[in-house]
Amino acid sequence: MTHRVGITGVGVLSALGDEPAAVSRALCAGEHARCPLHPPAGADPAANGGFAGLAELGDAEIAPLRGFDAARYLGAETNLRPLDGAGRRLAAAAALALEASGWTAEACAAEAVGLVAGTMFAGMRTIAEFDRRALEAGPQYVMPLDFANTVFNAAAGQTAIRHRLTGPNATLGGGPVAALQALGYAADLVRAGQARAVLAGGVDELSAEALRAFSRAGLLSGAGEGPGVPVPFDGRRDGCALGEGAVLFMVESIADAERRGAPVLAEIVASASAWAPVGEPGRSGPAEAPDEVAAALARAIAQVLGRRDGAALALDAWSSSASGDVGRDRTEARGFTGALGEGARAVAVTAVKGALGEMLGAAGGLQALVLIEGMRSGRLPGIAGLATPDSDLGITLSAEGRAVDLRLGLATAVGFDGAVEALLLRRWEGEHFATR
Amino acid sequence: MTPRRVVVTGLGLVTPLAVGTEATWTGLLAGRVATGPVRSFDATRYRVDRGAEIDGFRPEEHLRRLDPASVGRASQLAAVAARLALADAGLAADADPRAMPERCGVAMGTTSGEPAEIERFDDAWVAGAAAASDPRFVSRYPCHVIAQNVAREVGWRGPVAMLPNACAAGNYAVAYASELLRSGRADRMLAGGADIFSRITYSGFARLGAVAPDRCRPFDRERKGMIPGEGAAVLVLETLEEARARGASIYAEVAGYGLSCDAHHMTGAQPSGDGALRAMELALVGAGATAAEVSYVSAHGTGTPANDRVEAIALQRLFGENAAATPVSSIKSMIGHTMGAASAIEAAVCALAVRHGWIPPTANFEAADDDCGLDFVPNTARRHPVVLAMNNAYAFGGSNASVLFRAVPA
Repeated sequence: MTHRVGITGVGVLSALGDEPAAVSRALCAGEHARCPLHPPAGADPAANGGFAGLAELGDAEIAPLRGFDAARYLGAETNLRPLDGAGRRLAAAAALALEASGWTAEACAAEAVGLVAGTMFAGMRTIAEFDRRALEAGPQYVMPLDFANTVFNAAAGQTAIRHRLTGPNATLGGGPVAALQALGYAADLVRAGQARAVLAGGVDELSAEALRAFSRAGLLSGAGEGPGVPVPFDGRRDGCALGEGAVLFMVESIADAERRGAPVLAEIVASASAWAPVGEPGRSGPAEAPDEVAAALARAIAQVLGRRDGAALALDAWSSSASGDVGRDRTEARGFTGALGEGARAVAVTAVKGALGEMLGAAGGLQALVLIEGMRSGRLPGIAGLATPDSDLGITLSAEGRAVDLRLGLATAVGFDGAVEALLLRRWEGEHFATR
Repeated sequence: MTPRRVVVTGLGLVTPLAVGTEATWTGLLAGRVATGPVRSFDATRYRVDRGAEIDGFRPEEHLRRLDPASVGRASQLAAVAARLALADAGLAADADPRAMPERCGVAMGTTSGEPAEIERFDDAWVAGAAAASDPRFVSRYPCHVIAQNVAREVGWRGPVAMLPNACAAGNYAVAYASELLRSGRADRMLAGGADIFSRITYSGFARLGAVAPDRCRPFDRERKGMIPGEGAAVLVLETLEEARARGASIYAEVAGYGLSCDAHHMTGAQPSGDGALRAMELALVGAGATAAEVSYVSAHGTGTPANDRVEAIALQRLFGENAAATPVSSIKSMIGHTMGAASAIEAAVCALAVRHGWIPPTANFEAADDDCGLDFVPNTARRHPVVLAMNNAYAFGGSNASVLFRAVPA
């Protein structure tokens, strides 16, 4: 018999809060967390994250974690100094996920719990500040504590130390695809017997470095004339708003979870990764060009949907990684319709980045979260800010949240450089229903 | 479904010893030391000046699709290693009738990704010109571009993954790739690691006082530290069934792996060696083997007093009475610590040791340390049948990864 793997808890830090059901409710109500990078004259300059000295970014919007305080999650007595921004976010999400899934400190000490963290930039701010200090003051003045955080896996390592996670500890690069890939890999690790339980998801932190890099690459909304529209699948979209966050799911064998009496929120049915070259790295091709990335995504989706028990699985919801990027949103829609054909229009679509911005390594976590919450609540968010849906995408778009009997949900992601990911989740209704 | 067996059929090495697998292997067996004064940047501001850099690297001589100027140096090293590995596996022709590119993937590891890109970004920032920094930064810096550039070079379209798991990254990538092959989600994988010699890395290790002033002397009583290096290695992995069907020459089977985390300290190993031991034991469970069957250990062996002491403790605990009878060596004594590439290069060395029945030495070994009493194959390569080789890697963040390579009878 197949070794079934599921999710037993979620920890989330998002610009719309840190309580999964409340985040989902806010999204279903059409709320969004975007705000101007530069607060209007007279407002507190630090209000929106305090990214000073980025005048060239003009009217860009961001979706920051306002007032994030790691001590609230890790304990006021904890020494937080060794953790940088990414580490604090991930360790806090881990605290929430462990609590939500019923993995106590004692249980973590007795069993080797693993961690797979997806990211794009992870400690980039620390890396850049460390390097600039060596340049400006001299290499003898860099801080050893900072150096420990200049490796991409520092956030995962720090989180393991905080929570005594002694199982596999992997970091996956990949930006928007990384958290979905992490969930798939965590399921693999559990199936392979490398750990009984693995926390999986992702993290990224807003930073001046990331904002500048995205701006220079022309990826941010609001760079052109007129107001920016960082809205997924909107006909007027012109790029993304950068966001941030951290999400971790507890992934474990369903049999183990049921033995310890833990509710299973969803089964991880299958995951697939694929890749195709994009013309210029970081860019999608022109509209008329054959879209190899879309074809790769269609392949990955077909792979996870498969044909089980004689019929392809019927999808109830699609959680897209669309962010407002002109080319990549279209690519993702093409990949989806390529795999689903005419059936694509019947599937409820959501894209959380309209509300939360492009959260990079954390994004896939929020995408999976709305599916899992939808399985519980029967409601799926729409796309915040959607006013003029791009009409020729072949999918059904709505700004409003809607009621969905969500048994089977698909999350997909398209990266900046041709990577794609598909993850299929199923509401867990017991072994009998799962095998039907 | 019974998990499929995974074997190594090709190796590509780009190391401070040589650009090429054969030349690197020959150099390692000869005990040639490739560390020396730092050349790629001005090291006079540091108290140490040793490094292990690659001389005469000309990517344009190897790459067919990738324009070297369009990618960072780590991508260049990785893509060249991939080309060498494919040629070694007998897969040099782009059109391969036996495998669809959609079923072939890439998993790579790294510590620092493309650090030269962020160093240039910082140079502009410090010069007050950040607003005009290179627009290609987003498509050149994030570490995942290394794996994608390998895929771009070889034209593969399957799963592509980047594991920036610091100095255990190569082993993590091999483990990741072998899982995709075992479960049937890919038919062929390139797995490895790449890192370049970098100012940021050098500043950090120098500040930690971890860089050796002269030579890297793993497990020696007088060891004084590691020597940062650069390099790349790529292994061609495929299923045993497929390798046999196409008549490929098999180096070894990826028999098992074990992943764990110390959860103890970011840069220092757990003194008991518990985490390292757990990774080794998990790998043995996966391989269905006992410690007594291990014929060679490719040690992490960085040459820092603390790492080597803890690693020796973990090995002694694993082998018990057999500890002194199992040869252990560290090639970092010769090529320095190539960071995320290190365990990928060492994985390739394990595969070569299995094939050729030779064990590379621990160079610069002069005085045995009472703390580390094992057979470290001092200074001279040894003829020794290697049936089961264990590759150990430990990283910042406490990540431990052990991978086992086993001989496959013809």
